[in-house]
Order: sequence, then structure tokens, then C-alpha cells
Amino acid sequence: MNKIKAFSTRNRKEILRDPLSYIFCLAFPLVMLIIMTVVNSSIPKQAGMTVFRIDNLSAGIAVFGQTFVMLFTALTVTKDRSGSFLVRMYATPMKSTDFTIGYILPMIIISFFQSIIIYIASFIISIITDVDLNIGGMLLSIITLIPSAIMFICFGLLFGTLFNEKSAPGLCSIIISLSSFLGCIFFDADATGGAMLKICKALPFYYCTKSARSCVKLDFSSSTFIIPIIIVIVCATVLGILSSAVFKSKMKADLS
Amino acid sequence: MNAIETKDLTKKYKTKTAVDALNLTVNEGELFSLLGVNGAGKTTTIRMLSCLSTPTSGEAYVNGKSCKDEKDEIKKIIGISPQDTAVADNLTVRENLDFMASVYYTDKAVINEKVDDIIRIFNLSEVENQKAKTLSGGWKRKLSIAMALISEPKVLFLDEPTLGLDVLARRELWHAIESLKGKMTIILTTHYMEEAEHLSDRIAIMISGKIKACGTVADLEELSGKKGLEEAFVAIAERGMSEDE
Repeated sequence: MNKIKAFSTRNRKEILRDPLSYIFCLAFPLVMLIIMTVVNSSIPKQAGMTVFRIDNLSAGIAVFGQTFVMLFTALTVTKDRSGSFLVRMYATPMKSTDFTIGYILPMIIISFFQSIIIYIASFIISIITDVDLNIGGMLLSIITLIPSAIMFICFGLLFGTLFNEKSAPGLCSIIISLSSFLGCIFFDADATGGAMLKICKALPFYYCTKSARSCVKLDFSSSTFIIPIIIVIVCATVLGILSSAVFKSKMKADLS
Repeated sequence: MNAIETKDLTKKYKTKTAVDALNLTVNEGELFSLLGVNGAGKTTTIRMLSCLSTPTSGEAYVNGKSCKDEKDEIKKIIGISPQDTAVADNLTVRENLDFMASVYYTDKAVINEKVDDIIRIFNLSEVENQKAKTLSGGWKRKLSIAMALISEPKVLFLDEPTLGLDVLARRELWHAIESLKGKMTIILTTHYMEEAEHLSDRIAIMISGKIKACGTVADLEELSGKKGLEEAFVAIAERGMSEDE
């Protein structure tokens, strides 16, 4: 346990002392929150388009922010792998599970505080724009966002383990784009329907946004919250197991 | 008990044999240098002895423990300073040491004591609150070795510790390494003759994965019929390479 604590503390400090992590994980989502609120104010009410209204946007941006935590997870792992840092650590009594938990744990904490900051900003915007935003819903959503945070972090761990410093961020960018668009953060697939909705529903990102949005609105019905959150939990579990297994296998290969 | 013992230790990568049937014995408390040109197999040997690479065949023992079957036990008693300075860039010198100590120890008081001791021994106090990424090459190497020593290893592996350092930084690091002599077994790889000569109790000359000669500087001079380690090394290396051809 002391090894996990030591390694996760090191990873937390490494990321929190990198100014780029604040720009990507915090500033950029907050800027998007403001920009999309401005866009929303320009959309006529008659259009009936509510995806950018703060009660829908806040949860979407919280998920959007998590995708950048994924990027920084991948960057941390690739950086450790490309230098001799992991080689040094492999020669210590640390096991592969110490490494994987040590990478995942601080990212969950970072993502948790990221969600809090995004919801605080959303609450301020809701007051300015005079839109009702449920504080209880937001508080609950911070908790229910944890499975999707784990899912994205495990994507980052997987890419960081399998690819190098150049290709891992590229793959993360694909996931960021896919989750933004097909996760319905900046796009209302439910209103569109058809093949587009089917594609969105075939990917886990849609369910991350859907469950977070429903939670903010305190809508806990089966179709809007229970089933989506179960899908997210299953995906997070599968990716958690997969990324840990891949890291273990890669570590074994590195030591062969 | 020997600190290191290898029996026909071999490492092959597809068609290339990096280490070829290496038979080596290092005494406890000895500073033993592996000297060789690039690609001689020095780093591969260190990697196998520190359980970072599995031998293709043969046996290796560290303090009597098998590198194949007792890896976990060996990892508790070794320290390694890799060729690249493997430090956490955004952590301060003290935090890097604290982090490594926390991997081995649980008691915070013990951890603090170990960190304070190593900072004092390596004269790191003037940079202890400086981030590792802002350190000069020499300080980084010092930190890297200090991190390897925090667990008080019985066997310390130093893989080209002074590579790329200026002469003053190198000399300072030599003093630090010299201060460890006798306290633990040190395996050092280098291709700097003066470094091997200055620091080592015994030197092994590796060429193409094989040990071509092993002994004190005087032994190597006698074996080659040349004066000075550099001349002895060149003679042994050239003879070794022509034998392999």
C-alpha cells in the first residue's frame, strides 16, 4: 500500500506542477463552457435547441474535461516509459498493480476536483443566464461522474502503455473528438435520431454524458440514468481490467 | 559468499548475442568495473543482474539469490542508477528521495531519517528544494545515485554514471562513489579508462558480450604486456576482436 501511495503522490505532483495540465484540463473546458453559453444565447428560443443551455452543457463539459485527464494520463505513462524512470522503478519491489493503481488514483482525484470547478462555474453562469441548475443534482453528478473518469483514465493508461510519446497523444485526440461529437456534448443525437443516434449509442461516450446530464436534473429514470450509468460502469470496469492486463504484459515483455 | 556470481550467463536478441556465456565472480564489498566499448554487453549484463532482463540461458546469483527464481528477493537488496538520469523532473530533490524511500519503508520517521542522511552524505542540501528538471547534469547524476542508495542496498549497479559530465562534475561524482567503497558491492559500467582505474578494485574487459580479461589494473597490464590501463585495454580489445573474427 505504501508503494501505491508513494507512486500516486509522485504522479499527482508531476501533473499538478505542469502548467499545461491546467490549460488543458481546466482552462480549456471553462472557455468552452463560456463560448457555448454565448452560442446558446444567440440561438432563438423557437429553435427548441437546448444542448448548449447550462443545465445540459455543464455535465457535457464535465465529461469533456475528463477526456483531457485521459490525455495527461497517456502523456505521463509514455514519458515514464520513454526515459529510464520506469526502468529504475522496475528494479524496486513494486508490482504491476502498484504501477497501474498509482497511475489511476491521482487522476481520479484530479478529475473529481475538475468536475467541482466546472460545476461551480456552471452555477455562476446559471445565475447570470437565469437558468435553474439544481445544486443537489450537481453534487450527486460529481459522484456519478467517477465511473466515466475511470473509463477515460484507463483509455489514457492503455494508450500510454501501448504507444509512444508521439502516437499516444494523437490517439487521445481521436477519443477527445469522438467523445465530444458522438458523446453528444456539443450535439444532440437524441433530437437527430436515425443512424447518427445508433452510432452514438454504440459507443460508451453517449452514456457518460447522458447519465451525468440526467443526474444534474435529478432524473433517475431507468432509460436516462440507471441503464446509461450501468453501461459506463461496465465499460470502466472492462477498460480498467484491460489496461491493467496490458500494462502487466508490457512490463513482463520489457523485463524479458 | 560472493556478491555476484554468473555461470555461462547468456542473452540473445534474435540473431545477436549481447552477452555470451559470461562467467563472473564479484566479492562482497568490492567495486567491480565492466569496461568495454559501446555494444560490448555491459548494460545488458547489469540489466540481467538487476532482474530487468531475463537471461536466455545460464545462471546469475546476487548475494546467493537466483536472478531467475528469486527476483523479488533480489529487488529488495539492490539499487540501480540507470544510464539516463531516471528522476522525477517536477519533484524537488528532497521529494525524489522521499518518494524512493517511501517505496521501501512505511514509517515516516524512518523515511525522513533516510532522506536527511542521504542529503548530508551526498551534499545535496544546497539543491534539496530545487526541482530535478532545473538541476545541472552533475547534480542530476548525484541525485540519481542517491535515489539508488536510499534503500541501503547490498549491491549497487551504476550504469555509466559519469557519461556526458564535465571533468569537475565527474571528479565530484568519483568522490561520492569512492565514499561508498567497502560499504556495499558496487558494479560499475564505464568506457572511461581513468574512471575504471581510479575507482575499481578489479576490472573486467568486455568485448562482443564476452569477458576477455579480468583482474586488477596491474593484472591487466601484465596480461597485455602494456603499461597503463588504456594501452592494456586497447591491446586486449584488439586481440579479443581478432579472436572473434
